[in-house]
Amino acid sequence: MSGRPLVLAYGNRLRGDDAVGWVVADALVDDLRMEKVDVVAVHQLSPELADDVSHASLVVFVDARLDPTLVAGAVVVAVLDPDPTASLMTHHVDAGAVLALAHTLYGQAPRAFTVSVAIESAEPGAPLGVAVSASVSALVDTVVRLCGTTADA
Amino acid sequence: MIDPVTRIEGHARIRIRLDDAGQVEDAHFQVTQFRGFEKLCEGRPLAEMPSLMARICGICPVSHLIASAKACDEIMSVRPPKTGADLRALMNLAQIVQSHALSLFYLASPDLLFGFDADPATRNIVGVAKANPQLALDGIYLRRFGQHTIEVLGGKRIHPAWIVPGGVETPLTTERRDEIRAMIPEAYAAADRALLWYKTNLLSWAEEAEVFGSFPSAFMAMVDDNDNVTHYDGRLRVVDHDGTRLADFDGPDYADYIGEYNDESSFLKPTYFKPRGKAGLYRVGTLARVIVAEAFGTPRADAELAEFRARFGRYPASSFHYHQTRLLDILHSIERMELLLDDPEILSDRVLSRAQINSNVGIGVAEAPRGTLIHHYVVDDDGIMQTANLIIATGHNASAMNASVAQAARHYVKGEHIEEGMLNRVEAVIRCYDPCLSCSTHAMGQMPLHISLVDAEGRTLDEVRR
Repeated sequence: MSGRPLVLAYGNRLRGDDAVGWVVADALVDDLRMEKVDVVAVHQLSPELADDVSHASLVVFVDARLDPTLVAGAVVVAVLDPDPTASLMTHHVDAGAVLALAHTLYGQAPRAFTVSVAIESAEPGAPLGVAVSASVSALVDTVVRLCGTTADA
Repeated sequence: MIDPVTRIEGHARIRIRLDDAGQVEDAHFQVTQFRGFEKLCEGRPLAEMPSLMARICGICPVSHLIASAKACDEIMSVRPPKTGADLRALMNLAQIVQSHALSLFYLASPDLLFGFDADPATRNIVGVAKANPQLALDGIYLRRFGQHTIEVLGGKRIHPAWIVPGGVETPLTTERRDEIRAMIPEAYAAADRALLWYKTNLLSWAEEAEVFGSFPSAFMAMVDDNDNVTHYDGRLRVVDHDGTRLADFDGPDYADYIGEYNDESSFLKPTYFKPRGKAGLYRVGTLARVIVAEAFGTPRADAELAEFRARFGRYPASSFHYHQTRLLDILHSIERMELLLDDPEILSDRVLSRAQINSNVGIGVAEAPRGTLIHHYVVDDDGIMQTANLIIATGHNASAMNASVAQAARHYVKGEHIEEGMLNRVEAVIRCYDPCLSCSTHAMGQMPLHISLVDAEGRTLDEVRR
């Protein structure tokens, strides 16, 4: 990966709406507008991803968000800055920490965004819920727009 | 009570009990998550076991794959072709490298680099990256090396379904062999730098090394025909604190030597060395491997082992040395991987033997990153699982962890309150063993470490939760 936008989708595809990152990643891989974008789906973020992030021109993190103040399926886009205070309690880190590691270790933290979707349930074994399923198309379009790519690019 | 214990794989708490004089009487490491894999596999077809059992853990799924596949091999009375066995061993070694890298660089190195009294806000991998970028880079490289090898061999880095009863599903191509091989020189360089850093800073952890589980105990590990360390195939050996050999047995005979009991206050199932009854505490894992085995059998690791033994003796007692022996195990694993990859037979197409159910019982044993792993299955004549018994490294080490926490608590707990420095050190003692609670409890629900200080009447004097 080098000099290309990177989409990092994460979540547990066995736990209901938490699988939305993987579903979006699957759709992006098949999307002709994303030919010049790298797409990676993982269960959780880990420090090793800092290397990939440092080589990207832009990073979009796609994740589920359990937030009772939001309607299920609502999409939230935010600019992400490196977070050097993020802690590592076990073997995973949050998106801001991955950016901070990329900057500290590899000398570059690209521009980054988080795209998150409000979810209803992360029950083990449950399928993606109706509200989150309905938002997948909008999520994909949002990620494509952030990556700055179009079918004509 | 320390609840939760942080930077370990899973959720647990520690209960410290004081005597009438207010001195630490004992300590108890309690696992608060439940999984139940032994029960949920009953009634499932044997062929599902390797893939299902690998779901026990996201860090060491390959060890479960291997122990499970070996148990299945026994039930099917099938011996994998040499290349099939070598490819299984190769994947297990890759997992050992990535798991140890996670334990040492991500979880333990913040304590070692910043000290046990440092601010928890900076005592993490991001802090390590700022203070010692090369150490963080080396940890990340070794973890990627192991994960990438697993991905190249099995198609994905977590829960690959490539290891199956009778061998492995697909042979290794020249292109993939070369891809893994190309990463080895930098893996050596990273391991060498990390060892140099560790040895250079060792003196600054002298106090912790004295009280982090330093006591005489037995040790168990797998050895090969030359009494060298092996992670895939060999006999299990138990030696005492002074090297006296206590038992030497094949994995399928484990029940003659290893007993299990239920701890009502914990979902962790402790074990004991049967000839010594329930007091038969023993340790497994990287420290046990270098104590039980005569050598690694590979030049770089053996040179480091000689230096380690010159400094700490042939039978070091402190669990603090799990950290350094993890680095030795990484170095040895890279060497063994190189040897396997350089053997032309590794590219053979004969990687899988096929057979049917020929026995009703199968026991598979392997050395997982954290120690000896045993899978024991009973099936009916149609290959349907009747029972499964899993003995995990963290179960073997449970009694030793309790003894280690008690020792550290006696040294650091002063009075009726839990100070931050004491909390950090008691947690760090547990981290020496790199316990994997997802593996060792059989999770419905999770309770994030919790240390409680209890007086002789059972009253809680102080509690700390994190």
